[in-house]
Amino acid sequence: MEGRSISTSSTGAESPLKLNVAAAASTALAIGSVAWYYHLYGSTAHAMTPAEEGLHPTAYPWVHTQWLKTFDHQALRRGFQVYQEVCASCHSLSRVPYRALVGTVLTVDEAKELAEQNEYDTEPNDEGEIEKRPGKLSDYIPAPYKNDEAARAANNGALPPDLSLIVKGRHGGCDYIFSLLTGYPDEPPAGAQVGAGLNFNPYFPGTGIAMARVLYDGLVEYEDETPATTSQMAKDVVEFLNWAAEPEMDDRKRMGMKVLTVTAVLFALSVWVKRYKWATLKSRKIVYDPPKVTDKFRS
Amino acid sequence: MGIWDTFTDLVEAAKPWATVEAEAPAEEPQEEEQPEEEEEEEEEEDDDEPKDPKEQLEEECKNSKQCAPAKHHFDECVERVTNASDDGEAKEDCVEEFFHLAHCASQCAAPKLWSILK
Repeated sequence: MEGRSISTSSTGAESPLKLNVAAAASTALAIGSVAWYYHLYGSTAHAMTPAEEGLHPTAYPWVHTQWLKTFDHQALRRGFQVYQEVCASCHSLSRVPYRALVGTVLTVDEAKELAEQNEYDTEPNDEGEIEKRPGKLSDYIPAPYKNDEAARAANNGALPPDLSLIVKGRHGGCDYIFSLLTGYPDEPPAGAQVGAGLNFNPYFPGTGIAMARVLYDGLVEYEDETPATTSQMAKDVVEFLNWAAEPEMDDRKRMGMKVLTVTAVLFALSVWVKRYKWATLKSRKIVYDPPKVTDKFRS
Repeated sequence: MGIWDTFTDLVEAAKPWATVEAEAPAEEPQEEEQPEEEEEEEEEEDDDEPKDPKEQLEEECKNSKQCAPAKHHFDECVERVTNASDDGEAKEDCVEEFFHLAHCASQCAAPKLWSILK
């Protein structure tokens, strides 16, 4: 500005008023074009409404997701009880065999007893007939329905998903499932459209979920006398489902600790060896000692 | 939950006498005790059903200062929509306002709830 005013004052052709008007006009044009551009392209385009996205679940401070923590196996036991008594009537857990429960959720005898309560097909006998036998530890937990079509037919067209990997298979994992189970409001908010045969749940994308609220206070009786509130049951069953999806978590974390410890020691050792080997090279000194110039060579 | 637990856990894991039992430990006397306990439990629970701390905490949170703006908007929306639906047809719903209020309440209640639950 200053350079310009100096140059104009030297010529004396334009008055300061004209210059001020020109500056104000160009500023207004710049601001206006920015505003117009922002109005056209600035706001984010949402393909879906918040109701269609579903309410993002709150992050709960799960203990078992911490780096140095394991599953609470008492909670897994309670969670398995909730699964058996509540969820298992509609949801399968088809990737979990009884043997996986041994030592983590049940004892061997309990698991065997549980397996024997169900019947499984045998190998064909001498006449080629397939008979039934009581379950063994190597058998998988039976599904409530024969196939997906049967499941849909029994549930008003909605398919209850298999729960083996549900914690890994849903955005939000443990938080989402806990919120979903405990998040049914007493009544949907004013004006919300709930489809026929659906229930309002804010955490389910679209907010219309076929599964009704299933967990109510005092629904199960825990063997360890934990008060069976809705949120307690939800927390336990979610931890159990997390175990079902990641049965290797405890071992994985322990192995990770071992790897980090051993690697740290080996790294320190390799640093020491490198410095030891390089010590002679790093501490050497190259000295150039020029021969003294004498007149003898001149001639 | 503190850092000290981590050390005690590590020490527990490193102890050679720490055992992981896959087999049921022989505990016959406890099995005898269990039915009695269960009976007591039933009696207690018949008297008073356990109440869900989540609902109570979230109700407190909804009325707290933290969620006051969200609650204000939600209440206003509910009033507007119910009035509109009484007059004729409502053109909007309060799902979004409900989301904001529910999110605020559950976020405020989360740490408190986890300190209560086992």
